[in-house]
Amino acid sequence: MKLSFTGLSVERSGRNILHPTSLRIEAGERVGLIGTSGSGKSTLGHALVDELRTLGQSIAHVPQSPDEALDPLRSIAFHWREAERALGLDPNAARQQELFHALRIEDGDVGKRSWSWSRGMQQRFVIAMALIGTPDLLVLDEPTSALDPVVAASTMTLLREYLSKRQTAMLLITHDLGLASRHAERLLVMQDGQIVEDASTDQLLEAPATKAAQSLSTHRSWLQLPC
Amino acid sequence: MRTLLGFLLRASVVLAATALATFTLLWNAPGDPALAIALARYQSVVPAEVVDQIRAETGLGLGFWTAFQSWLGAVLVGDFGNSAVTGLPVLPELVTAMSYTMPLGLAALAIGMAISVPLAILATRRPGEWLDRFAVAIASLGTAIPAFWLGLLLILLFAVQLAWLPAMGARTPSHAILPALTLGLGIAASLTRIIRSGILEAREQSFLPALKRRGVVDRTIGRDHIAPHAAIPVITVLGLELAFLLEGLVVVEVIFGRPGLGSYLVSAIFSRDFPRVQAVVILTALVFVAVNLVIDLIYRLVDPRIGENDA
Amino acid sequence: MLKVDNVAVRRAKSVTLRDVTLTLPSGRTLAVVGESGAGKSTLIAAILGLVKLARGTISWNNQPVSACRPALVMQEPRAAFNPALKLRRSVMEPVKARSIIPEMGRLERLCDGLELPPDLLDRRPAEVSIGQAQRVGILRALIAAPPLVLFDEPLSALDAVTQKHTARLIADLQSEEGFAALIVTHDLGYAAAYSDEIVVLNKGRVEEAGPARSFIESPQTAYGKTLRDAAFALGALELAA
Repeated sequence: MKLSFTGLSVERSGRNILHPTSLRIEAGERVGLIGTSGSGKSTLGHALVDELRTLGQSIAHVPQSPDEALDPLRSIAFHWREAERALGLDPNAARQQELFHALRIEDGDVGKRSWSWSRGMQQRFVIAMALIGTPDLLVLDEPTSALDPVVAASTMTLLREYLSKRQTAMLLITHDLGLASRHAERLLVMQDGQIVEDASTDQLLEAPATKAAQSLSTHRSWLQLPC
Repeated sequence: MRTLLGFLLRASVVLAATALATFTLLWNAPGDPALAIALARYQSVVPAEVVDQIRAETGLGLGFWTAFQSWLGAVLVGDFGNSAVTGLPVLPELVTAMSYTMPLGLAALAIGMAISVPLAILATRRPGEWLDRFAVAIASLGTAIPAFWLGLLLILLFAVQLAWLPAMGARTPSHAILPALTLGLGIAASLTRIIRSGILEAREQSFLPALKRRGVVDRTIGRDHIAPHAAIPVITVLGLELAFLLEGLVVVEVIFGRPGLGSYLVSAIFSRDFPRVQAVVILTALVFVAVNLVIDLIYRLVDPRIGENDA
Repeated sequence: MLKVDNVAVRRAKSVTLRDVTLTLPSGRTLAVVGESGAGKSTLIAAILGLVKLARGTISWNNQPVSACRPALVMQEPRAAFNPALKLRRSVMEPVKARSIIPEMGRLERLCDGLELPPDLLDRRPAEVSIGQAQRVGILRALIAAPPLVLFDEPLSALDAVTQKHTARLIADLQSEEGFAALIVTHDLGYAAAYSDEIVVLNKGRVEEAGPARSFIESPQTAYGKTLRDAAFALGALELAA
């Protein structure tokens, strides 16, 4: 099963901030969408999710920060139930247990409001919520930027494990090629609202075709250590 | 509960300051208080010895601080004393007055909310368009209009010109319509603006798009995420509105010739009836402080982030 | 030389520091790494004299740190400036406040070194990019030529490419100006690439400390290893092919 769409574009104040874009993602594929800030990657992520949802596709989106995903006045449990209901699902304790365990948030007090959880746990909860409806594609917008490296690294590991078991495709949106290259097998490079390069990770790292890709690649890590 | 103690302390200070302030004002009001009492009591001019006698028996001759202290001492044990004019105990009179005023106040509040909530919701359906601008304009006008002017206007229109509704007194329930409307419209005016801006602000919350993307329908979002957030500033303002309501009740009761706390207070002031005046003031201050405490507690429950840094 | 000697800080609701000792000579860079809540920001506050020390001393050249007027570069550039003022005015505030007259051309030289076009300072914070805003923050920190500059997550608000670029500019300016730099960051890659020494804070204590390169190549503690492995997992550090 694969996802494809064509002609997605977004206009704001008369300007095209996302040019007509076409894309195909295979089942279980891990795709990285990279670019500098202002390149339109978040916009593409939002537009993608909004469009495909109206077409009935099963897609979930995880925003950059838990503040953009959770209502501070409502408890964690409230959010979970609300998400279940929104998908037309009955409350299912087993599903909650499974997802909480997969993302290692079983120990959290769900009766509390979100801000009493650490940011790392909040973010994992948001990811877990996104997985309730077993989406075909999970779109993550800068999933690690609000997190400490240790938590970020373990979150990515747990997530990949879970996704690969269910053949869920992942679109990882980030400005950090280092991160994308570690977790995606295919990379899309964005610049000024357009996808300018589409290659496998190995290929892009070895021989980036566009200037944008070259710049991102040169600056992908801080240090290269001898083995 | 440190907050409770803090509240009790603040409440006592407010009550004490209010009592002192009103006592001072009344004491220094123009004219001789003993004379005013005499006039009210006997309804005619009386010889000087009678006035002196009144001065002695009411403690007015003792000097400001002594008089205040003896009054305060009595109040602290629950003795609100007797009216200087009638000699009858003040507390029962207060209770009767309250029984007229409370329903009026509640009716005004109900009218205010019945108008402001739907109006604000409708206005915010299309912010910036004609209904919204109209609502804001009307609301601003409404807050500028004084209650006595509005009351007299309503009397002129509905009681005199159209003769639909009675004007003076409190004989029948329909006598309460115009006074409640007068106050209710004023409340509606300020509430409309607060509710409207509360809703608009609640719509800007950063997590709302994510809720939509999760498939939560607009109605649920409105009910579960916008309304509660919008309610917070409204609850805050309700506490303030209470103060204005109390003031408005006094004016309205006088204009419409209704018995109640307001007219009770006004006549007591004219006759320099210290015990009555002080009792009303203390009662009002108590109500005000209590309502504000309840409001404070309510929104600590709704949004525990408030009060986080109180320690 | 900055000397933090056996410092402890107690705070009502947040992290305490315990037995924190470190030294930072002029012209050198020390990176303080660790997770949120480890005490990194508390340490900066302590060095700036914003919190009381429960124990220990912090000194610069054996004098209280305030004497050398250390500068601070904060994480969020837009929060560091008064949005109503033009940038030039915000930048000159530190020197105006102390009635210092910077030498001729210093502002221009620093702008050059930070790749800020001269007319940028006549704009307001909202009118410049976040990368530019951060560089103006650095400019403001350096205008009075402090011997010690503290950086609190200076790159976190920037994207990956801008981060690398800004780090390079800071390092170049440091060799020119000769200030001591204490950089608080959770990015071990940045710390490894640009600092001489790394201090690892964990729950308010110094878990490990040592020359940057040797820490990265072989951390001595389990926690140090965890941090390093996470940096590899996120692509901040790489093994050469």
